[in-house]
Formats: sequence, structure tokens, C-alpha cells
Amino acid sequence: MRRVVAAGAIGVLFAIPVLTTNQFLIHLAITVLMWTVLGISWNLLGGYAGQVSFGHATFFGVGAYATMILYLKLGLAPWYGMVLGGLLGAAVSLPIGLICFRLRGPYFSLATLAVAEIVRLVALNWEAVTEGPVGLLITTLPQVNFGSRPVNWESKVPFYYLVMTLAVGAMLVTYGFSRSRLGAYLLAIREDEDTAESIGIDTARAKVITLALSAFLAGVAGGFYGMYFRYVDPDAVFPIALSVEMVFIAVVGGLATVAGPIVGSIFLVTVSELFRERFLVGHLIFYGLCMMLTIRYLPEGIWGAMRRAFTTYVAVKRS
Amino acid sequence: MSLLSVRNLSKAFGGLRAVSHLSFAVEAGEILGLIGPNGAGKTTVFNLITGFLPPTAGEIQLEGTNLVGLKPHAVAQRGVARTFQIVKPFRKLSVKENVTLAAFMRLPARRDAEAAAARVLDHVGLSAKLESAAADLTLAEQKRLEMARALATHPQLLLLDEPMGGLNPKEVEDASALVMRIRDTGVTVILVEHVMKAIMRLSDRVIVVHHGEKIADGPPDQVVRNPEVIAAYLGERVA
Repeated sequence: MRRVVAAGAIGVLFAIPVLTTNQFLIHLAITVLMWTVLGISWNLLGGYAGQVSFGHATFFGVGAYATMILYLKLGLAPWYGMVLGGLLGAAVSLPIGLICFRLRGPYFSLATLAVAEIVRLVALNWEAVTEGPVGLLITTLPQVNFGSRPVNWESKVPFYYLVMTLAVGAMLVTYGFSRSRLGAYLLAIREDEDTAESIGIDTARAKVITLALSAFLAGVAGGFYGMYFRYVDPDAVFPIALSVEMVFIAVVGGLATVAGPIVGSIFLVTVSELFRERFLVGHLIFYGLCMMLTIRYLPEGIWGAMRRAFTTYVAVKRS
Repeated sequence: MSLLSVRNLSKAFGGLRAVSHLSFAVEAGEILGLIGPNGAGKTTVFNLITGFLPPTAGEIQLEGTNLVGLKPHAVAQRGVARTFQIVKPFRKLSVKENVTLAAFMRLPARRDAEAAAARVLDHVGLSAKLESAAADLTLAEQKRLEMARALATHPQLLLLDEPMGGLNPKEVEDASALVMRIRDTGVTVILVEHVMKAIMRLSDRVIVVHHGEKIADGPPDQVVRNPEVIAAYLGERVA
């Protein structure tokens, strides 16, 4: 049953550019899927391991800048840059993890917030590398063939399929992760860190590995962002708002679930894009409202609640 | 050689000396009772042995190898398991999953770990509760779960921190029988407990700690007649 639903959902994702040529809708779908990857990234650490980070924009920004800089200065195509950006995000996460994971609970969260602000200010002021507030702009993307035809980078469709692959890949990673021994350890850490240590779980190591994986996904999404929008500056890729939106998507969708982030992203991004047209930052008000309603009425998130309702329905039908 | 030897162990929290020059040894196969009035430093001793707190000074050796400076998970991997006085289960996870997670330490394959968990849970008498969430158990059951979780790591030495605290007389009986059974499987036990009946019955030897210092060490019936021990518990005049 779950496989059928998953296969159907992937089929729908494949079909979207065939079903519509409306550029706004395709752009919306791209945005939704990019935020899905970010929600998944945050969910690995925040949902499964219970370590609430308010600084995930750091890894997104590092990935975005790495991709842009590698292309502008070394001519490395962004699709390679994207992967390297992810790896660099993971590398940056290691010292951050070693420092912040010395703290627990709210103190950890505050530390991640502080680190993210430091990184943003570095990006803003380290002009030799980042061009500071001016930002980095790329005008054209390198020529590449898909099969025998050249990819048309002026169309949104190639970007759509690229980000769709990333989102589906990230969901598969989450699925494998949640069933692994490390995934089980994270649940233990989320429930009680002392007890986890007392039964031989190296909690520091488990958290650092998870953060690195999470940072890798955020970095790749950042690389995609740079490539798709062709412009990055510190306010676009390092703001606190970005870190917070990742939290919203994971929480509203459903913490520690595979499909939660895509459900949260579809819901929040779609509605916020509609709001954004009318009120400049109105979507954040909407985000906050959804967050409050979710915490009060759907603590398991939209997907968590849907899953529970379905299980109950099946059970009732059988009896 | 003793299984565990503690020498000159001290721990200060600021100006408070919670444990002071404490030395004792634990022989393989025995049940060692560790008693003392509230605040004597018993739980601190457990935290020092298991790496949850770093000692201010002193040595802790398991079969001659040093334990000081190791993280709790590393101490657990060397074969020292513990329970917590205030129970700390993985509350939202099932009883089976709670113990399976502990069994993972020695058995990386999930199937093996689950089988080991089922055996341990049978041993402590929680087989009927496998699928219950840990938070839904009674206190007596949660205390058993603490022991099952510790046992699933396959320890040589088990530190039990008040496994009978808050239990009714019948539950105390059951818990005592369980501690005996655990020792009979070859696990050495250090038992912190205020239920004197259980301590007297179970312990091969008793250590009394007061203000972080050892004031008595010997067979239980001798220790309870020791005037210093009576003074520590009941005040000078009674002694």
C-alpha cells in the first residue's frame, strides 16, 4: 500500500511539466521541491534526533556560495558544484557540531542561531571571496547534452527534473536512514540522551554524523538555488528567516516522517507564494499562524495526522 | 584481582565534597550493598564510575584497566551497566524497542538484538508488555524495564540505583528475587537501596557511606550493629 502511494506520487511528480506549461506553476513546483529538500534536511536532525537547529541557513548558504564561486572562478559546472557545495556544507557542519553539541536543548538551539549569524556576517564582509552585499551573479549556464539534445537552460523544465530528483533522492535517504541502526539510535537520543549513553550509544558521534548528512542535503539545495536563480547574496541565502522556514515546513508537515516535509512544503510554500503577491512579507505571518495551529491541533503534523487517520480507518473497516 | 577497584575517589561540587577519598573493591560474583543516609553521595559514586561525572581525584579500575575519563557509552561498552534512581526509559518507544536498543551494543543485527531483548524481558517478567509504550508501565514495571535495559548490554558489573524505591512489599519481594536471579547468571551487582530488608537479604557485603566518606565495610549483620552507622542514620544520642 505504501509502495503504491509512493510510486503514484513519484508518477505525478514526473507528469507535472507534461500536464502544464504554465511557467508560474512550474516555478511554484520547483520552489516546493527545493523547500522539500530543506525540510528533509532539517527533519533528519530536528525530527529524528530531536536536536532543534535554528541555523540551517548556514549550510544552505555555504552550498549556494560554493557552487557559484566554483563556477565563476574555476569554471566548474554547477551540477558538480552542487555536490561539492553539499560536501562543503557537511565539512562546515563538523566544527559547528562539535561546538554546539556540547550544549543540550534550548542552549543547543541558541548556539546554532548564533553560529548562523556569524557565518552570515562573514559572508557579508569577506568581500574577496563573496563580493559582500553585492552578491554573485551568473549569466549563462554551461552547455550540456541530455541524451543527444542540448539542455535548454532558459526553460524551467530541466530545473524541475533536477530538483525533483534531489527531493525524491532525499526522501529515499530519509527512508533508509529511519530504518538503520543509526536512525534507531537517534530516536533513543531524542527520548533521553543520558539513557542512550548508558546503553553504549556514542551520542556525540551519532549527532555529528546526522548533522553532516543534514548539512549535505541543505548544501545541495543551496547549490541548486544558486544555479536556478543565478544570483546569491548574503541576505538571500543566509537569513535567519530561512532557517526558521525550514523548521516550519518540517513541523507542519510532520516531524520524523519521510513524507512530512514534502506535505508541509506543498502546503506552506503554495499558500505563501499566493500571499507574497499581495503582502511583501505576509507569508511569514501565515507561516507563524500555521505553526501555532499545528502545534495546538496537529502535534504530529499534517502528514502524521493523515497517516493516523488512515490507520484508524483501516482498523475500523477490518473490525 | 577485584572486578572493580576504586581508590581515593573524590568529587567536589564547588565547596561541597560529595565524595571524599572513597576506596572500595568489588569481587566478581558478589552483591555489594551501598547504603547511607540521603545525600551521602551514593548516586554520585555511580555517576563517577559510569562516566556521567568526571572525578576530582582518584582511580577507578575495571579488571585493572582505567575507567576514569571515559564517556558513559565507552564505560558501558567495557561491561558496566547502570539503572537510574529516577527511571529514565525511552518513554514513547515500546518496551521491546527500549531493550532492543540496548542489545544493539553487542548485537549489531536487528534480528539478533530483538531476540536478545525478548529473552531479557522474559527473564525480568515483562513478556506480556512487549508492545506497550514505556511511559504506560507502572512504576514497578518501569524499574524492571530499567534492569532489563541494563542487562541487555550484557554487563559484567551492574549498578542498581534504588531498584525498589517506591515499590510495595510484594513488589519488593519480586524485585529482590530478580536481583538474586541476575547474580546467579554471573553478573556482579552493586546495589544502592534504602529498603533495609532487601539490603540485608541480598548483600554479601555492605559499604556505608556518610558525607561522602566510607564509615563501614563488612557483612550486613555486622554493619547494622556498627555504632557509627547507627549514629549516621539516627543521630548521636541513639547510638
